Amino acid sequence: MEAVRSPNAERHEEDRDQIFQPLSFRSGLRVKNRLFRSSISGTFDEYNGHGTHARLNWEESFARGGIGAIISSFVPVTVRGRILPRYATIDDDDKIPFWREVGRRVHAHDCRFLLQLSHSGRQQDVGGVENLYRVARSSTSKKDYFHGILSQAMSRGEIGQIVQLFADGAERAQKAGLDGVELHGANGYLLTQFLSSGINDRVDEYGGGVEGRARFVLEIVRAIRKRVGSGFHLQMKINAVDHNSWLYPWEKAGNRLEETLKICTILEDDGAGVDAFHVSSGSTFPHPRNPPGDFPVGEAPLWYDVMLSSGVRTGLNQRIFKNRFLASLFRKFWLWRRGKVIEGINAEYARDIRNHVNVPVVCTGGFQHAHVIADVIRRGWCDGVTIARPLIANRDLPKILEQANGPEPSKECTYCNKCLLNDLENPLGCYELSRYDGATFEERYANMMRSVMSVFEPPAFGPKAESGPEPAAAEIAEKGRAR
Amino acid sequence: MKSSEPLTPVTAYTRRRSRAVRSLVLLVLFALVWTGFWLLGASAPQRFEDDVEHFKYGSIGSDNAERGLPYWIFTVLPEVFPEHLPPGGKGYEAFGLLVEPGRDRPVGFSKRRVFGIDLLGLNCALCHTSVVRDDPGTEPRLVVGMPANTVDLQGLFQFIFRCAGDGRFTEANLLAAIEGHVDLNFIERILYRIAIARFRETVLAQRDKLEYWNDIPAFGPGRVDTFGPYATLLFGMGVDGLIGTSDFPSLWNQNPRVGMELHWDGNNDSVEERNRSASIGAGNTPESMDEESLARLAEWIGDLPPPPLPAERVDRSKVDLGRTLFGKHCANCHAFDGERVGKVEPLANVGTDPHRTDAFTVELAKQMNTLGEGYPWKFTRFKTTDGYANQPLDGIWARAPYLHNGSVPTLWDLLLDPDERPKTFYRGDASYDWENVGFRSDRPKDEERRLFLFDTTLPGNGNGGHLYGVDLEPESKRALVEYMKTL
Repeated sequence: MEAVRSPNAERHEEDRDQIFQPLSFRSGLRVKNRLFRSSISGTFDEYNGHGTHARLNWEESFARGGIGAIISSFVPVTVRGRILPRYATIDDDDKIPFWREVGRRVHAHDCRFLLQLSHSGRQQDVGGVENLYRVARSSTSKKDYFHGILSQAMSRGEIGQIVQLFADGAERAQKAGLDGVELHGANGYLLTQFLSSGINDRVDEYGGGVEGRARFVLEIVRAIRKRVGSGFHLQMKINAVDHNSWLYPWEKAGNRLEETLKICTILEDDGAGVDAFHVSSGSTFPHPRNPPGDFPVGEAPLWYDVMLSSGVRTGLNQRIFKNRFLASLFRKFWLWRRGKVIEGINAEYARDIRNHVNVPVVCTGGFQHAHVIADVIRRGWCDGVTIARPLIANRDLPKILEQANGPEPSKECTYCNKCLLNDLENPLGCYELSRYDGATFEERYANMMRSVMSVFEPPAFGPKAESGPEPAAAEIAEKGRAR
Repeated sequence: MKSSEPLTPVTAYTRRRSRAVRSLVLLVLFALVWTGFWLLGASAPQRFEDDVEHFKYGSIGSDNAERGLPYWIFTVLPEVFPEHLPPGGKGYEAFGLLVEPGRDRPVGFSKRRVFGIDLLGLNCALCHTSVVRDDPGTEPRLVVGMPANTVDLQGLFQFIFRCAGDGRFTEANLLAAIEGHVDLNFIERILYRIAIARFRETVLAQRDKLEYWNDIPAFGPGRVDTFGPYATLLFGMGVDGLIGTSDFPSLWNQNPRVGMELHWDGNNDSVEERNRSASIGAGNTPESMDEESLARLAEWIGDLPPPPLPAERVDRSKVDLGRTLFGKHCANCHAFDGERVGKVEPLANVGTDPHRTDAFTVELAKQMNTLGEGYPWKFTRFKTTDGYANQPLDGIWARAPYLHNGSVPTLWDLLLDPDERPKTFYRGDASYDWENVGFRSDRPKDEERRLFLFDTTLPGNGNGGHLYGVDLEPESKRALVEYMKTL
């Protein structure tokens, strides 16, 4: 990103004011500041998709830290669309009470909660036992090129069913008293698989040009609107640019910015469509651009093994990760494909999209410094930023940004992406040992474990678990919804 | 697990892929093994059912990777470098090599595929097979075991040296010529590129080691310096001033020669060592010797009879007298039952040109006896002598010209006083002089090629000595010659 103002303590008040002004959407959603917790998951829930107290603790910890709104974890609209087991789903009405409780917990901190309606398509890292004998559905029958996850192109009938599942999910979110939904249309999941010219090889009305590729998502948008009306916030997470050939140069590049701008217009649906866009990039997950940062070659061979039975190229990948020489080559390649910018990696894409659309735009990509966040908002490149990993590192990042330009250097998110790899098998948290206090490895590691395991505190059964949010906080939450 | 349970899609896919990969690997392995076998595996050494065919074209082991001549390189040299052939010559026939109809190589060459390339090796027949033209205008007939009267071995090698030293001896030129005869595949083309470069390098190194050839009188057809090349090529010795050039001998009747002092100077009395050392001269190494073939050939030449001189060419009326004279003047040294046959006759007695016996030095004898270290046949019997061995005269008619250095064209001439023997004469003619018993030597060109003018005044070529019988009356000499036709 070019020409970001350098940090300047004297101007911090100015930056702070920029960041901590509320943001209102036409849907009626009003967020108290410009900071959103981006969708990030954690395998905390019941295997069958019921949420747990750990998820409540998890989401509440961000709300408590002062974030304006939380975009939920990847929430599958059906078990067939999960990316990992133990993620809470929205596939049945019986999930509504849990999500209602999530809303209640975060609203207590004057934080909004948007549920991310998701479907993995062929990018199903671990399908779980329910999906063991099923081939993932997608726009294409070509397998995912990174892990080699098998895929079968959906029939029109299946497409129609999935559209309804998204609408069902949105309706459930509304019934749960949540503040809106986000369609996960970025980073290689099912919606990307339809939108991307690099992946969608259909010859029917759901493929071909931009209109054809966007048809599936537009049908979802319209189906959701039909169910929840125009007053329920609906936003779209989208790849500004696919960068689909990052790993294999012979893959098609995927959507360029111009195509994405057309898709955005389609999804605005003449004012009846989405209420905001959430800008990301990269047609796979992970992707050197998302989450932007390092590739933790030390962690990969430890945790990638859980994916070995998922795809037909996972064995090859694991052999590369296990070989120190090849792994270091892969890491160098990864860093090269990412580029130099991490913080604000998508900001210029957001600028171009915001200039083109008629709704607010939020942008993701490594944000954790006030001067950067304020700058992109001040310039009008986006209306707010979404943050994931820096918030895992510092749940109180919003509070920090109120006081200072960013966390203490030793406490900053290093973009190491160890959280990303650990999420395959371990509780999500910050696994960057260097950020933890301690004179020895053992001390640091113990502190790290305390931090990671804190998501399970308070426990489901115990004195603390029975105490809900204080009435005052709940009142604030109700007011903040401004519905 | 019940067998009725289906495979997961990923397992099914990876199994299919594993099967495909296994098949592919097997296929590649098979291809590699095949290529390797084709490339690395030498074809079996060539054997022929028929002893004569085997003698002419069979392998003795000299068609080995180290010293074999790449067939196609050898074959195309005359067409790529015709200017290096003797004037008017075409092909290897210009050097007196014998090419039988329908054969892909001259007599005396075996062929075998090694490292994917056909190699030629020399065998015994190259120097021990020749042709005789009975009458002018008739086709010459092949006689196996006979000294190769027409073969100019030195000319042949010098031709190859000139080709290899020519700036046009390039991979591109040679390959282009080879591909005019045969379609080479990708691998063969690579192999030939390597072979061409290696051939040039090896040949030029040999040329440098045989530079002494330029300092001694030319061999001409039918002759070779047997031991000089051992000295320079195998032992790195100098041969300054030494001239070991001598006639090719005949190969028949080896069994009766057991125990005799063999080679012209009698420097070895073991038939086996003599056979093996000759095969080394033809390109064998101790490792490459084809024991089975060598044993078969040794057995075959053991009792191979000499070729009979056509009976109609003998004046029977003189034979009896000749036999008597032979018994009186020659048999002691030259009959199988003679007292001195197979023994070295000191130079002081025989008086023939000394160069050949002088060329086999004490040092060279010592070196020859180092060959075969670690093998049961290791040489031990080489020694120096002070003269020339008395030879049995079986098939003597086919062994012209005479004396060790081939300096006397006919038996008749040998019975003349040295001063009356021809000072110069032409060698290499296949036409036969039945009267004087020897090849025609009076014309510079025969039906096929230019002949070689032999000059007896040059060092090593002296035709003096062996005065036995020169004092006989002409009638007696005629009778003796007629008798010797029957030997």
